[in-house]
Amino acid sequence: MSLLRAQGLTAGYGQVRVLQGIDLEVNEGEIVVVLGANGAGKTTTMRAVSGTIPRQGTIEFKGHSIQKASTDAIVRAGIVQVPQGRGTFPELTVADNLLAGAFVRRDGAKAIADDIAKWYSVFPRLEERAEQRAGSLSGGEQQMLAIARALMSRPKLLLCDEPSMGLAPLITREMFNVIERLNKEEGLSVLLVEQNANLAMEIASRVYLLETGVIVASGTAAELSADDSIRKAYLGF
Amino acid sequence: MELFLQRLVDGLSEGSVYALIALGIVIIYRGTGHLNFAQGEMALFSTYVVYQFGEWGIPIGIAVVMGMAVGFLLGAVTEVAIVRPISKKSPFAVFIVTIGLFQLLNWLDGAIWGGQQLPNTGVGSKQIRFPSLFPSKPTDFVTILGANIKIQSLGVIALVALLTVGLFAIFNHTRLGLAMRAVAANGESAKLVGIRTGRVLMASWGMAAAIGALGGVVFAGISTSVSLGLMFTVFIYGAAAATLGGFDSPGGAVIAGFSIGLIQNMAAGYAPEWVGQEMKVGVAFLVILGVLLFRPSGLFGTSRVERV
Repeated sequence: MSLLRAQGLTAGYGQVRVLQGIDLEVNEGEIVVVLGANGAGKTTTMRAVSGTIPRQGTIEFKGHSIQKASTDAIVRAGIVQVPQGRGTFPELTVADNLLAGAFVRRDGAKAIADDIAKWYSVFPRLEERAEQRAGSLSGGEQQMLAIARALMSRPKLLLCDEPSMGLAPLITREMFNVIERLNKEEGLSVLLVEQNANLAMEIASRVYLLETGVIVASGTAAELSADDSIRKAYLGF
Repeated sequence: MELFLQRLVDGLSEGSVYALIALGIVIIYRGTGHLNFAQGEMALFSTYVVYQFGEWGIPIGIAVVMGMAVGFLLGAVTEVAIVRPISKKSPFAVFIVTIGLFQLLNWLDGAIWGGQQLPNTGVGSKQIRFPSLFPSKPTDFVTILGANIKIQSLGVIALVALLTVGLFAIFNHTRLGLAMRAVAANGESAKLVGIRTGRVLMASWGMAAAIGALGGVVFAGISTSVSLGLMFTVFIYGAAAATLGGFDSPGGAVIAGFSIGLIQNMAAGYAPEWVGQEMKVGVAFLVILGVLLFRPSGLFGTSRVERV
């Protein structure tokens, strides 16, 4: 069943239009990966879905239009974004970061505390550093915190903006493993944009290729790696 | 010893006013990154409003709460109607706008309460007697260790200490406080966890102005009168306290505010020939200069480190 559906989505900054009308779909339970080079419009796509920038075109979540919805309404509806470069609250403790992640929830302190305990068990490093300021964590730990914070809102759809950026290859792999596990065990749907094609393709249900604001190809990971020109341009073999 | 105690309490009660203004400056700076030049004048406007309530027969204790509410509205409306639309176009212009607001509010106060002819010059404005929140007759003092301590000074210190504790409880233990800290740390991410950052900023400006209103009322009470120039120097000291405390640290602002009041009064008291009443400001600023030379981000400020 279609969870997120965008048609003719355009967005940009001021006079500059970055997304030139893209069609995008995430079905329930899928990990959808958008691959693209620098400046292709990956982050803009994330922002357009999250509603942090103005956008035009059709964009529906669970069958309802969210084109006019504000960011907090979109978070309430169940879409949450892990921003590029982690975007944690550096001056807040790890525990307060997680608490802030649950800001839109109304189901009481007990349920929120239970969720914090749950993500501590998934990311034990965060529990060790619970009372430390987030700014003092390593890059990998911050990325874990950013993901855990996003999950605190109990989203249906997780948006990940280049989770591999600035991380060592081993940590990146760990991060993708976590995302895959969340998808399998929690039924979390994921829309992930990446430059790091190899790793992202491994966990992808479907892949879109984004070039200067236009989607130039889409299909399963297997279909795209079978295409010679795409393989050469994006996978480097 | 008696003199020391008196100077200590007088210094702290004066410093508490600086602490309040500094708190307001810091709350706004943390939220939006703006230095609100009109912080002192917003406080003065609310102080005149409290005076007006008093004229209408409302007891000062109730009038001050109502005045803080008016201050909150003034701050919130300023953020929504003036600061927000302008900062979208040019964040820097907000600084100029707050200077304009400073002028506008002072002009308005002069026209309504200051007995000024229009266009007013701000000079020679009327002094209006202002009631104190606490008993302030010359006989209202308590004797502690041989020193005669004014009840008003003790009351002011206790009130400001109470307000500070309350504010920190809000910052650290409420949803609004969490949202305010999140917005201060990373506005973009605050949006992405579903915080309505606009409302938070509105509330921040409102809180800052309400705190300032209390500062104005307390200071007018200490000075026994209110006039158009009442908050000029207080704002300078408040801004200095915010700088000394670290600009993004509410706790630092309070400690620095109290310290500046203390340093001034001690210096003026113990070196009457060298410093005296005229030069006591200079001593405070020398200390600030010294601290900032060694700690550019202030006593409790976070020095931002960019990871490259």
